[in-house]
Amino acid sequence: MFGKNQPVVSSKNIETIIGPSVKVEGDFKGEGDLIIEGMLVGNLTTKNNLKIGQGAVVEATVKANNAFIAGRVKGNITIKGKLDITGSAVIVGDIKAAMLSIESGALIQGNVSMPSGEAAHEEARTSVKKDSRKNEIESSEELPLES
Amino acid sequence: MYLYIYDSFLSDKKYTDLLSQIEKRVTDLGIKGRIARLSILKNMKELITDGIKSGVQTVVVIGNVQTFAKVINIVAGLDVVLGLIPVENDNKIAKMLGVPPKVLACDILASRIIKKIDLGLINNHYFMGQAELNNASVLIEYDGYSVRPTTVNNNITIYNFADRSVAPNSSPVDGVLELVITPIKSGVFGKKNVVGTVLPFSKIKISTEGEDQVSILTDEQVIMKTPAEVSVAPQKLRVIVGPERCFE
Repeated sequence: MFGKNQPVVSSKNIETIIGPSVKVEGDFKGEGDLIIEGMLVGNLTTKNNLKIGQGAVVEATVKANNAFIAGRVKGNITIKGKLDITGSAVIVGDIKAAMLSIESGALIQGNVSMPSGEAAHEEARTSVKKDSRKNEIESSEELPLES
Repeated sequence: MYLYIYDSFLSDKKYTDLLSQIEKRVTDLGIKGRIARLSILKNMKELITDGIKSGVQTVVVIGNVQTFAKVINIVAGLDVVLGLIPVENDNKIAKMLGVPPKVLACDILASRIIKKIDLGLINNHYFMGQAELNNASVLIEYDGYSVRPTTVNNNITIYNFADRSVAPNSSPVDGVLELVITPIKSGVFGKKNVVGTVLPFSKIKISTEGEDQVSILTDEQVIMKTPAEVSVAPQKLRVIVGPERCFE
């Protein structure tokens, strides 16, 4: 979602950034895209895309539409669409995602489950497509005009 | 009907020419109105409430950033439109609203592009642009969670709206404020700002851990102290803006 071959969160779409110098505690609910580079303890829910950066530490139950994880997560993860886990990620908890990509080097301690049935896959594809389309539109808006 | 309020510092001789040029221009544009001058005996609230009773629909304030800060806190929520004529060239609020300085502002008033904008509210004080806490070790409480900076030196800024280069996502018509926490790190070439935290909100509480109070400075130079409750007052002010404003 946030990598080279995945849709990128455009700056227009970014609503919340938890920087590396901040610690958040409690029940965090976000409406828009969420980027975590710092520390979060509690529960984390967003209706949109989630990026957990390489230096981030999350001790929470995580729920998001699509997610990209490069940092450390301790807690169960539920992703409606696509979950990308990079080689630097350390996850201790159960993972539930409709689409999953794991880079070599990632450490996962927990159960990984994916919903079965055509309906579940269709829902996941729609969720990922919606996200890609949104980013394509935003990228085309940002293209410089050639004179 | 228009009510023009001149701040008390404009009684200085150096402003005489400017004021007569403004008066001439508003007459030419057909937006002439009643003139009231602030003094020790006449305060702004009294002038505005009396004006509204006698049918004033547009209050135009001529002054500086501090004058605008005062008037915002009086007209917020009232059934009047606010117009501004800045007498200095570098007026942040006027710039963000797209209002040029001095006589040029009269043309913006005459064009009457009116926007309903949000205001920020710190305890009982409204602010238009931003509020700032420097080097503060604070706890910020949202509904359901809390945020704490982990570095010692931070700039904490609350934006209602600001220049696009400073806070690209802030807007006075989106119904939210934006909290930005930027750690200050010292590098070889002095202090440098690094990746910050951006959290939109509609209501937060800011407090300090110990008994020390931290100052909160608004862009109108009004100082308040923690603990403070900060919230957005959506569409609280009807203001005349120019086409060069920094929001839609």
